[in-house]
Amino acid sequence: MSGETLLSARGVTRRYGARVALHVTDLDVHAGETIALTGPNGAGKSTLLSILAGALVPSGGRVERVSGVLVGWAPQRPAHYGKLSARENLELFARLGRVPDAEGAAELLLAEFGLPGDRQASGTLSVGMRQRLNVAIALLGAPRVLLLDEPSASLDPEQRRRLWELASGLRAHGGALVFATQHLEELERADRVIRLEEGRAAAA
Amino acid sequence: MRSAWLIFAKDVRVLARSPALLVVLLAYPLVIAALVGMVASYASSKPRVAFVDEDGLPAAIDVAGHRFDLVGTIERSTSELTLVRVDRAEAERQLRAGRIVAMLVIPRGFAADLRSLVRRPRIELKTTRGGLSPRVTQQAQALVFSLNQTLSDAYLEATLKVVRLVVGGGPGEFFGNRFTVIGLTGARELLAGLPQVEQVQEIQKFVSQAETALGDADEALRATARPVELVELGDRGRTWLLSAQVQAYGLAVTISFLALLLAAGSLAAERDEDVLQRLVRGLAGHGRLVAAKVGLAALVATLLGLAIAVAFGVILELGGVAGGQPWERLPLLAMGLLLAGTALGALGTVVGALAREGRTATLAALLLVLPVVFLGLVPREVAPAAGWISDAFPFAHALRFFGDALFELDPWGSLAREAAWLAGLALAYGAVARVAMRRLLA
Repeated sequence: MSGETLLSARGVTRRYGARVALHVTDLDVHAGETIALTGPNGAGKSTLLSILAGALVPSGGRVERVSGVLVGWAPQRPAHYGKLSARENLELFARLGRVPDAEGAAELLLAEFGLPGDRQASGTLSVGMRQRLNVAIALLGAPRVLLLDEPSASLDPEQRRRLWELASGLRAHGGALVFATQHLEELERADRVIRLEEGRAAAA
Repeated sequence: MRSAWLIFAKDVRVLARSPALLVVLLAYPLVIAALVGMVASYASSKPRVAFVDEDGLPAAIDVAGHRFDLVGTIERSTSELTLVRVDRAEAERQLRAGRIVAMLVIPRGFAADLRSLVRRPRIELKTTRGGLSPRVTQQAQALVFSLNQTLSDAYLEATLKVVRLVVGGGPGEFFGNRFTVIGLTGARELLAGLPQVEQVQEIQKFVSQAETALGDADEALRATARPVELVELGDRGRTWLLSAQVQAYGLAVTISFLALLLAAGSLAAERDEDVLQRLVRGLAGHGRLVAAKVGLAALVATLLGLAIAVAFGVILELGGVAGGQPWERLPLLAMGLLLAGTALGALGTVVGALAREGRTATLAALLLVLPVVFLGLVPREVAPAAGWISDAFPFAHALRFFGDALFELDPWGSLAREAAWLAGLALAYGAVARVAMRRLLA
């Protein structure tokens, strides 16, 4: 792979008591690269993505990130405040992430994802809308690395198409995408596919 | 602390958008505070005592030429008891069953003994052990004291009547015998009409001295009969409902429920909404999340506490209660509410951090707050161990702070001590919550 390494996992592992969710794993994410994580339920895909995102502390090993590289993360289950509107959620996470012009960034993503803005609490949105908001929050601050955990699971075909357009744009601008999926047709979009089974990674 | 402030502001907005939750959060602790007040009120209610009148006491009785309102005296002296008129057998049965705490018996011959002044009349008292029985014993002693005092007054009056007769002369009666005496004044006048020989002058001198001495007998006899007099003043202070103790209880109980439940629930809610992992990846650390939740609990506790204090004050002002609300102490109370809310909120975040999700956190907070509150209400002198355990929780310190802040003339020493306790507990619980969050997410 030609691009610089933006994000690396060095010997990361994750245990929950006696159960090993992720065995020792190494992974380098390069600029301009798309990596797909695949495997059955409970294989360790979400665990690896959470560790790469910094949302989960690994039981062993370490995650290295190039200084100044922003990493966006959309977990499998939409993570936002149900009592706040889509706009309020976006503005809040933008401010927490110290994104310049939080209102402007929120406005842009609302339009990009066709979200309802102030009209209703995000908890009352449809599953697909909530997933859109989930991904939109991950895009705040224009991250160079995007980690998406089964992002297309609840999206309609049009939204899937727009999501992959966004991913292409990210790659074109020197970014990288790592996503987990169970849809075989989505694997075609990846430069590299890593299959996980019972917490062990293998190149597919 | 920017991130803590942002989370805090978000929580305030979320709370404002949850009217049902807000009403429950505000109303529930107030209801609990009222119930605690009612329980405390019941504890100080009048004990039930059986009144067994085996002598068939008349409403009034003549003793030493004086008419007594015997039944009225008994009723006045036992105003702190609920007297239930039953016969001896029923009283014994109810005493064994615990339906009454004591039985007061007027035995046969009581009125006759009282009239005859030959044998001391007796009143019998039988109580249960412990509980309210000391209060009943005190009331019975007060009854006997009151009866003795009334009788003593009557005997004194009868004696003074004789003394006045001896001094002023006139018709009199003693134990049914009617007679007329000339009295010392009459004797002095008769002596003045006699030839002033030495013997007559000696008698005149004695009569004059006796007149003077007996003239002071009234006050002297009264002072001897009752060396110390208790004067009951009209102003009886605040009603129980508005007392300082109840106000402090109300405030402490209310904010304990509110702050603990709010902090625990709001911290656990971050996990319920799956936002926690998003936050801890650099957006808001564990400590800042804990600080935001503690701040939320402290803010709401302070606002609600002040609203309660102002409501109390307005009721006192409208009711024209002597002393009224110490309005100038409100800033001090606000400081106490803020400190107590912070410490209670910190304890709530420990619960919220240890609980897996919101409903568990709320239930756990509820399970914790009840014993903490009741432990804090147990007097230290009754159960020292309860006092020591209670010291490890903010409730008892908050209770003492509020009581002293509102009504102690010189509260500074105790306020400084309780404030230090509350600040220390807030720091300790906050640190525990932070560690608990880190370990659970690790």
